[in-house]
This record gives sequence, C-alpha cells and structure tokens, in this order.
Amino acid sequence: MKRSRILTALLIVIGSAQMVQAEDALDIVRKADAPFIGSKIYSISEMTVYRSGKARPTMEVESFTMDKNDKDHSLTIYKKPARMKGTAYLMIGDDLWVKFASTGRTRKLSSSAKKNSAGGTDFSYNDMGESSKGMSAKYNVTMENRNARFDGEKCYEISFSPKPGSEGTYEKLVAYISKENYHYLKIDYFEAGANIKTLTFSDYRTVGGRDYPFQYVMESHTKPSKTEVVTSKVEFNSLKVQERYFNTSYLEKIK
Amino acid sequence: MEINEESLRMKFLGKWGRWACVHWAKALLIALGITLIMGIGASRLKMEMTFYSMMPKGSPQVRDMKKIIENFPAASSIVVVLEAKDKSDRALAEITVKKAVDILSMELLKAEFSEHIIRVQGKLDLNFFKDHGLMLSKAEDIERIRRIYSDINLVPLFSHLNDDFEREYSGDEEKLSEDEEIAIAQFEGLEKILKVMERSASGEEISAEEASAAIDRFLFGSAYFLNRDSTMALIFIQPTFTMNDMDVYVSTVPLIEKVIKERAETLGVSAGLTGILVVGKDEMVTSEQGLALSMLIAASLILLLLIFSFRMYSVPLISGIPLFVGILWTIGLAGFVIRRLNIMTAMYMVVLLGLGIDYAIHLLTCFVQERDEGNDFVSAVRNSLRKSGTAVLTGALTTAVAFFVLVIARSEVVRELGFVAGFGILSEFLAMIILVPALLGFRNYRLSKKGKAESKLLKKLTPGFRIIPSIGVKIKNYPAFCALMMLAVGMLLASQAGKVEIEGNMMNMEAKGLESIELQDRMVEEFGMAPDVMSITMMDLDEMRSLGKRIKKLASVKAVESLTPYYPSVEEQSERAGLAEKFEAQVASQKPKGSVDRESLIEEIYRLEDNLLEMSDLAFMAGMDRMFRKLNILTGRNEEGEKVAETVIDRLIASIKENPETAAGLINFQKAFVPLLKEKLINMANTEEISLDMIPPFIRDSYRSKDGKDFLMNVIPTQNPWDEEYRKVFTGQLETITDKATGMVLAANQMIEIASQDGIKAAIAALISIFILLIIDFRNIKLSIVTLFPLLLSFASLFGIMALAHIKFDFINIIAVPLLIGIGIDDVVHFNHRYLLEGKGNMDRVVAKIGRAVLLTTITTIIGFGSFIPSIMRAMRSTGIVLSIAMALAFLYSILFHPAVLIILTEKLGLNIKPWNFKRREK
Repeated sequence: MKRSRILTALLIVIGSAQMVQAEDALDIVRKADAPFIGSKIYSISEMTVYRSGKARPTMEVESFTMDKNDKDHSLTIYKKPARMKGTAYLMIGDDLWVKFASTGRTRKLSSSAKKNSAGGTDFSYNDMGESSKGMSAKYNVTMENRNARFDGEKCYEISFSPKPGSEGTYEKLVAYISKENYHYLKIDYFEAGANIKTLTFSDYRTVGGRDYPFQYVMESHTKPSKTEVVTSKVEFNSLKVQERYFNTSYLEKIK
Repeated sequence: MEINEESLRMKFLGKWGRWACVHWAKALLIALGITLIMGIGASRLKMEMTFYSMMPKGSPQVRDMKKIIENFPAASSIVVVLEAKDKSDRALAEITVKKAVDILSMELLKAEFSEHIIRVQGKLDLNFFKDHGLMLSKAEDIERIRRIYSDINLVPLFSHLNDDFEREYSGDEEKLSEDEEIAIAQFEGLEKILKVMERSASGEEISAEEASAAIDRFLFGSAYFLNRDSTMALIFIQPTFTMNDMDVYVSTVPLIEKVIKERAETLGVSAGLTGILVVGKDEMVTSEQGLALSMLIAASLILLLLIFSFRMYSVPLISGIPLFVGILWTIGLAGFVIRRLNIMTAMYMVVLLGLGIDYAIHLLTCFVQERDEGNDFVSAVRNSLRKSGTAVLTGALTTAVAFFVLVIARSEVVRELGFVAGFGILSEFLAMIILVPALLGFRNYRLSKKGKAESKLLKKLTPGFRIIPSIGVKIKNYPAFCALMMLAVGMLLASQAGKVEIEGNMMNMEAKGLESIELQDRMVEEFGMAPDVMSITMMDLDEMRSLGKRIKKLASVKAVESLTPYYPSVEEQSERAGLAEKFEAQVASQKPKGSVDRESLIEEIYRLEDNLLEMSDLAFMAGMDRMFRKLNILTGRNEEGEKVAETVIDRLIASIKENPETAAGLINFQKAFVPLLKEKLINMANTEEISLDMIPPFIRDSYRSKDGKDFLMNVIPTQNPWDEEYRKVFTGQLETITDKATGMVLAANQMIEIASQDGIKAAIAALISIFILLIIDFRNIKLSIVTLFPLLLSFASLFGIMALAHIKFDFINIIAVPLLIGIGIDDVVHFNHRYLLEGKGNMDRVVAKIGRAVLLTTITTIIGFGSFIPSIMRAMRSTGIVLSIAMALAFLYSILFHPAVLIILTEKLGLNIKPWNFKRREK
C-alpha cells in the first residue's frame, strides 16, 4: 500500500514536471510567434530563388495579410521582374487563386495546391499561412534542449508535432528560439524521418513594438534550391490592408 | 655520452658494405637473380585503375550493385551523345542529328561489332505505345484522354485541349514539373500540328504522311532521344560486356569510341561517349596518364636534385638503379601475392621513388662525409653502412611497420596498400643495401682503372645546403626559443584542426574536364535524364508496384522507373480494358464535319496561346528552363515576356482572320486530320492483354534480369546524389521505406566511410607499432615518447592547415595518413641516432651532418608526393597536396623543434636518453 502511494506520488511529480515543461515550451513558442501574429500586415519584400547556387531573377512582392473570421487572408502581388509584374496570388483559408499578368486571366487552384511551392519558391502556400497564426496553432510542442546553440547564440531547441486533425502540417518541426529575446533563429522541417528543408531568420528589427526578421532563407535539402526573402518594409495593423482586397474581383483588376 | 658500442646490426651492415664494394660483381649478380624472379611476378600483374574496382567487396551494397550490373546488362550501356555542328537552322539541325542516329545505329550493328555489341537503340519502338497506349495509361489518365478526344473535330478538340491544360496545369507548377518531359513533347507535337494546319489553311496540299507524323509527335512524342531543341540526340549501345569485365571494356570502349567519332565527323555532328563503362575507361586512362606524368616529373626532379646536391654525375645511376630495381621487386611481389595494382597502389609506386631514394641519399651522404674525413674507399663504404645503415634500417622498419599495419583494415584496397607499401619499403631498403655499395665498388674500380686521383673525387662529392649548419648553431644557442616558437605555431594550427572536413562527394575526386563526366551533366541538363540512381531488385512485380508508389511520395524522389508502367497488373489491365472499350466506342462514332467555325477556332487558338503563356510563367517561376525556352519559342516571347517573334499561332490567327479562303483549307485539314487521329486513337484503345514479351526489348531488358527472375526499379533523386548533404536526406528517406536500395552512390559512400574508419584505425595501430619499434630501437621509453612529439605536432598542424585552406580529406588521401606516420618519423629517428653518436653539446654538429641529408630526403619525398599535383585526377592532386604539406611539416618540426627539445631535456633538465643496456654497462 505504502509502495503504491509512493509510486502514485512519483508519477504525479513526473507528470507535473512534464506539464510544466510542456507549458514552458508552449510559452516560449507563443512569445516567439507573437511578432508574426496579428491582423492587417503589409510588407514589401524581395525574393531571390537560388537554383544550384545560381540566382534567378529577384522577385519583388507586395503582400497584404489579415485574419478574418478565423481564416487567413493574403494577397501577394508581384512587382518585379518584368515577366511577373502584375501577377498576383490570393489566398482565403484553403482557397487559392492566381491572376496571370501575361494573359489577364484569373484561375482558381485546387486546395491540394496549398502544399505546393508558392510561386516557384521553396516555401509552400501552407508555410506562408502558418506564420500568421503562429506555429502553436497547428502543432504540439516539446522542449528538446534548453541549452542548445545556433550560430553561437544560446537558444531553446523545441520540437513540434502536428495536433490531431491539423491539415497541411509536416511530420515534425524543430525550432531554435533565442533565449535572449525569443527570436526564431532556425526551423528544420522533417518528412519521412529526414530534414527536408530549413528556414533561418536574421536581421531582426523592431517595428511597431515587434521584433521582426527582415531576412529569412528557406533552404531545401531535397532540391538544389534556396529562397532568400529580404523585407524592405513591414507595417503592422496597417491602413494599407483593406478588406476589399481579398476577393477575386479585386484580383482581376490588379495590373 | 658518445656511444662506442657497436651493435650487431652495425657490425653486420659494416661487413656487408665492405664485402659488397669489394665483390661488387657478385653483389650485382645476387640483385639480378632476385630481379629475374620478381620479373615473373610483375608479368602476372593487372592494372585496375578505376574507383569501381576499389569498392569494398564485402559491403552488401557493393555486392548488390555488382549483382545488378551482372544481371542487368543494360545498366552498363554506352551512351553516345550526338550534337549537330551547325545549329543556325534548328529544323535542319534536327534532320542532321536524326540522320546521324540512323546511319551510326546501322553501322554499329554490322558484323564486325557483333562480338562487342548486343543492341543499338537510337530510337524508341513507338509501335508498342501506338498499339497499347490506353492499356499503358492510368485509369484517371484514360478519363482525361476521353475528355480531350470526346470530339476530334478542330474546334471542339482545341477547346477540350484548352480545358485540359487549364484543369491540369494552370497555376500548378508542381504538376507541370512532374509532367515536364511529356508536356514538352506534347508542345512540340502541337507546334507541328499547327504548322501543318497553317499550310493547309493557306491552300497548300497536305500529305497524309505529314499529318500522320504531326499527330504521332503530339500523341507519342519523338521516337528519337532528342534534347529540348532537337539539336542533340542519344544512342544507347548495349555491349556484350559489363562493368565487371574490366579487361574487355578498357580495350573495347576506345575502339567503339574511335569508330563513332570518326564517322560522326562525316555526318555533320560531333559525338561523345558516356555511361559507367566509358567513365570507368576514362578513369583508367587518366589515372595511367596521370601516373606516367607523375613518374616522369618525380624521376626528373629527383635526378636534377641529386646532380645539383652531390655535384657528381654518377650519383643518379648509383642511386637510380637500386631505386628502380626496388620498385620492380615491389611490383613483382604484388604480382605474386595480390595480382593487381589499383589507383592507390599504383600511386604508391611513384611515392616509392621519393621514399626509396632517401636511403641512397643517407648512405651516399655518409659515404661522402667519411671520404671528407680522409678515410679510404672501402672504410668509407663500410662506415657509411655501419653508421647510416643502422638509422636507415630503423627508418625502413618503422616505415614498413606503419604500412603493414594497414592490413588490419576492413577494406581490401587499404589492405592491398599496406602490403604493397610495406614490401615496397623493404624492397627499396634491400635494393639500396645490396646495390649502393656494389655500384660504388664498380665505380671505384672504373675510376681507379682510369687513374683518377681521390682528391678530385672528394671535391666533387661535397654536398650543398650550407644554411643547415647555421640552423644547428642557432638551435644549440637558443633551444628554448626554437622549441617554444615551433610549439606555438603547432598549437595555433592545431586549434583549427577540428574543422577539417571529409569529402563526401566522390565526383569531386574524379578528373576535371573528362568528356564522359561532363556529358553526364549535359544529359541531365539537355535531356532531363536522371543522374545517378538508387536501384532495388525484386522478384515480385506487384510488390514492386506498391513499393514504387510509396517511394514516389518522398520529397527527395523525383521519379521511380521500372517495368511496372509498361506491364500493368492483371487488375489494372482489366480496369483499363473496360475504360478503353468505352473510349473506342466514343471515338469510333466520330466523323469529320463538313465545316469549321472560324470565329470559334480563332477564339480557341487565342485561348491556347493564353494557356501556353501561363504555363510559360509557371515554368519561369519554377525554374523549368527547358520548358520555359520551349514555350517562349512557341509564344514568341523573350525571357522578360515581351513579344519578340512571330509564331505559327500568330500566322495562323492572322491568316484565318484576314483570309476567308482559309475556311476551305481548314475543312480540308479537318477531313484529313480527323480520320487519321481517329485511327490512331482506336489503335491505342486496343484491349489485348499486355505480356512481358510485347514490351520493347530495350525497355524490358533494362528492368528484367538476364534469367528473367528479377526485376529492377530505379529511384531517381531530385538532385545530384553525390552531394553528401542531400544523399543523407535521400538515403534516409528511402530507408524509412526499404532497406533493399543500392547504387553506385551508396557503394561510394560505403567506400568513403570504410576508408575513413580504416584510416583512423590504421593510424592508431601505426602509432602504437612505431612506438614499440622505437622502444626496441632506442631501448629508452623517454626518448621514444619524445620522438613522437614532432610527429604529433606535424599532424595537428597538417589538419589545421587543411581546415584553413579548405582542403578536405577524401578516401584516397585519408588512407595515406598511416603512411605519413611511417615516413614522418624517419627524420626524427635519424636525428636521435646521430645525437646518441655525437653526444651532449654537439647538437650543432648533429644538425649540420644529419640536417643536409634529412632536407634532401624531405625534398625527394615531397617530389614523390608533389608529382601528383599536376594530375587532372582530383583525388591524386589532393593527395599530392596533403602529403607534400605533411612532409614539409614533418621536416620543420624534426629540424627546428626536436633538436631543441632534446637539448632542453637532456642537457638542461638532465633527462637520460641512453639505451638500457648501455646505462647498465656504464654503472
């Protein structure tokens, strides 16, 4: 009887410790997610895709994102290069449309296309959507290492496993979050047991009270390809983001 | 501290020296006898200078791969890449390469090649696809085909084709990328149909053959293996031999290559050959050429150095004859025991030039010094063998032991190197000990006969390197400074040592600029062909189907190739037969209409252009360069999307719009086109059950073993699997599904892994053995430990320099590390022996006497290793660089660090380094 009580107490202690640890990891992830979450974000970025080490023409994109009725809304308009100028992607929840500047036509893509490469980059449309709600929305988190290091910086190594029923998730993610300021430093994406791509963040700057990475790079480990995104402008709760942008009739008018 | 004791070794060597220089003819006869016996061994030797021959035979991956090569002869196909010389007119270039394919294919099938060639495939047998097209298509694709051809009159056909493009590809570059090859072929066919239609619309008479050819191109693509702009073509030659028959392919591939290249010249095309056999042959040729060049460079430089340093023209002969005799003995021993030389062991023969000559240098330097001191000729020879021979013997033994320990390695290649290198050193030592005194005796006999005075001879024999004695004085005066300075340099470099990397990409070790390797890259770029693949063999095709589907889903897998798409399962065939019957019924009822709605046709052609433009945008974004260029040609756009050229679409639309008479031409075209298309579609809908025998032999033999029992599946990676980082992802993902995959890449990986493990294991074993030998030689543990310091510092510094200079270890140079231990210790051993002879306070004398010889031997060894640097084979080059740096470091630490440490320890701190029995006798 005494032994079973001790065992029960021990299990409670271990269980509580795990809960504390899980909460702790979740808390860290929420802090790291905070700068990316929010409504009405406007940004201008340059995206360069490198294939086999060679840079393809840099694409300048203007992005409008907002969260409405618990759905991600985003509109991405290509400004450069000339070939793509005016081409735009509209995403509302799981629905995706593309407007081709070369023909002026708008096409609706199947929802399965969300797992595909976004505009030839190493990001999928899902990767783009994940950030606006934060990683903790779709994944359970576990602290792997409290004393990890990345690029000489002390950080937490936290693994993410998909929540039951979450769609468009990866088998596993491993994020490295700075201890000093809760910045995401790196995220490794896993599928079929292998690290298939890695996202690294840098050049954090404070904008509107948030620390935002002005540069991030997604490197594929399955193709000789990486995509570098350099943000030149970002506005949170921006007046430039208007609800009327997020419909196909506006998309068709974009030039 | 001077040691007057004469050891047994010294006595024996002294006596031998005396006997050999006096009875030089008998000594030469002994050497000749040994040489004749070794000549028999040498005649049994085979050269196997390919990486393939070095693959670890015990590895399951290598065993599986060799089995695949043996059982699936198509895997050893020779690929001929033809390219039109004049590409200014694309259409003409296409005709030229096709003609060249036909002519060369016929010529290679002539009787004179029947001994070497089983099959030549310049074209795919399209009849199989024409007769069974639907049975070979997935159910969802038959449905897609049914929708497209629900009405094959012009307007509805274009309309349904546009619907299909929009449904399948618009906005989905990944789907487009998956179907890239099929889509490109379809665009080419479409272009041909539009061109025929344009001519017909303008009133030209169109032959049934032209229309049929255009439809075939659209439905089945080209029978030829053409590149993206049809200016290049491929021919696959299946030889009677495989990669496992090295002797045959090394001699036969050049013959085939010569015939093809010469004939191609007359056909307006250039020809190049690739495939694993050609790469293997090229490796063999470049390695042999590289070695010949290295041998020539090494021999010439050593010769020049000897003439310069000894100022005596006979020295190259006195040292060169035993040097080459020693190499011949080594080759003979290798012929008797291992029967082959691989890249490593053949490279070692060149290294042996630099190592073997060292023994001659030590013996001759000592001989010169003895003569300088006024000793007569016989005494000089005897003393040189007594004094220098002992150190040379210790050096040879330590080096040989360090080499012999390589036989503990897992891999055969490393074991072979250990054997050849160990016996190589002993052969050289023996050849020098037998021949140098004999040749000196012979020379003395000749000179005496000519009546030349000794004094003249002595003057000539004074060696150079006058800086060495001054270094000795500096070390004697400032030992702490010298030791600390070298220690600091060593520690500084050692701090970087951890960053040195191992080369995981074997392609980075191949020769640069090899046509066969460059053509492999061009095949990937121009023909979208797979780079190196992973292969799986199975006996059950159904199991293979299910496995293939799972593998295909992996992010690191581009495609899966096997017999299964050509040989559907019974269930698949039954399902498809039902759908094909329905399709046939749908097509059979169709007839050409007597009219073409011009307005609707224009609209559909505009729509087609829009679809092509959008797909072109997607191809641009997804980096599908081949498709992007093809679509730009079709739409007349440049890379920026600006309209820069008139296209067949523009001309057709303009013609239909502006000229009402085109209506008649279009109706004529429709009348000719519809029955032809109908016939082909009905043919495709044939529901006859497909058997293995129906599959074109070229395809069947590529995926079915010779005995018909096994089937092969090739897994095509998304990128170059030789890249180590990607390979880990690719093999890691594949391992989550199957452990049966093998391939050249895995075998090479295994080889790199085993070589790395062997290198480390053998290095540790070499260090331990050398330490034991040092204890036996010096009979003093403290001195033996101190002797290892410079060696350890050299290694730490070498790794540091490699890390700083971004030089990587590869499976060739890492195997050489244990060799470095054996060679690097030599210099220190010579210093120890001389210091023990000269005694305390005489380090300046030791450095002056030994330093010259050690510098000279270091230079010769560096020449031996450095002679690989000009080689185009990158593995040889890196080995040359790494080992040359290592030798230079070993010399610097031996001459600047070790003597200083010996002074500090023995003269300042009173450390006793005398041998045990000598200490006892002193008491």
